[in-house]
Amino acid sequence: MSNTILLIEDKPGLLDTVQNLLELHDYKVITATNGKEGIELAKSHHPDLVISDIYMPVLNGYQLLEQFQLDETLCKIPVIILSAKTGEEEVNLAYQKGAAGYLTKPFLFTSLHEQIKKLLI
Amino acid sequence: MSDLNNNTSNIIAIVSHEFKTPLTAISSAVDLIAAKLHIDNYMDPFYKKNMSKITTEIFKLNNMLDEILTMSNIISNSIEIKKELTDVQEVLNDLKAHYFTDRKDARTFKIKVSGTHNKIYVDKKQLSTIFSNLINNALKFSNKKMPAVELKYEEQALIIAIEDDGIGIPPQDLPYLFQPFYRGSNVNNIEGTGLGLHIVKNFVTANNGTITVQSEQNKGTIFILKFAYTGL
Repeated sequence: MSNTILLIEDKPGLLDTVQNLLELHDYKVITATNGKEGIELAKSHHPDLVISDIYMPVLNGYQLLEQFQLDETLCKIPVIILSAKTGEEEVNLAYQKGAAGYLTKPFLFTSLHEQIKKLLI
Repeated sequence: MSDLNNNTSNIIAIVSHEFKTPLTAISSAVDLIAAKLHIDNYMDPFYKKNMSKITTEIFKLNNMLDEILTMSNIISNSIEIKKELTDVQEVLNDLKAHYFTDRKDARTFKIKVSGTHNKIYVDKKQLSTIFSNLINNALKFSNKKMPAVELKYEEQALIIAIEDDGIGIPPQDLPYLFQPFYRGSNVNNIEGTGLGLHIVKNFVTANNGTITVQSEQNKGTIFILKFAYTGL
């Protein structure tokens, strides 16, 4: 059975491409365009993994991580952060808030896929 | 810091960040096309070579953006220095393991050590940027031997020599080497922004170190860094 990934990204072009890439690699993908929508989908669909941007409208990636940590079910779902921010502070903050992985944009899909495979074992 | 510098720095930070979104979309689209070609058994050496070329150029552009952002932060004095006692060998091993593993010619760099190990008081991230720039240059401007990084733990200071057997730097270029956007007159088509060594010089100075260079055309170049142990 294929794993379900929740992809949260506010840029429609990128969301569509990464969704297609994941689907080509046999993942079932559900998508959201901000953190709030992402949390609602995570609660209703219980994905195996979440991939999220940081800077998004309504509820950003850091707030999403905080909400995940507060929820008994969501805190078990690994979250990979995809962000253009390369600063050590931003990366550390994401890990402190519970991120399971962090990849800077632009990224190679092979690098993202490696992280996904490690977290889904 | 002047308002003009501050505003320029903010604009550069925003532009640099915003450019990364389309770059990511392009690189992901290339990845997607490559994956589809593989799955449909249409991938051939021609597609592979040219798609890899697009990806390489995207990441070069991304590095340029990062360098311009760093430069802008240096100019506006908005780089925060976090000095700590740092194990230089650890920084080099980390770089070797994570950043110099996928070159086409499989070259990395050698590390030689002499003297009694001691830590230096520097910003670890800036030290890593210094090494990454100098080692990348050593690889870029040479093509035979592996560059060598030699750590000499002397009584009062750590001397670090980064040596290559590359094209060297013409004597007339040496006085201008650390100026922004200056590129050696013999680099021809070897890519670069001319910002790397300027960033290196700034970071070395900010960490109370010194940097000097010795070079001979067509024989090689040695950059020598010196960090005293008593930088506290």
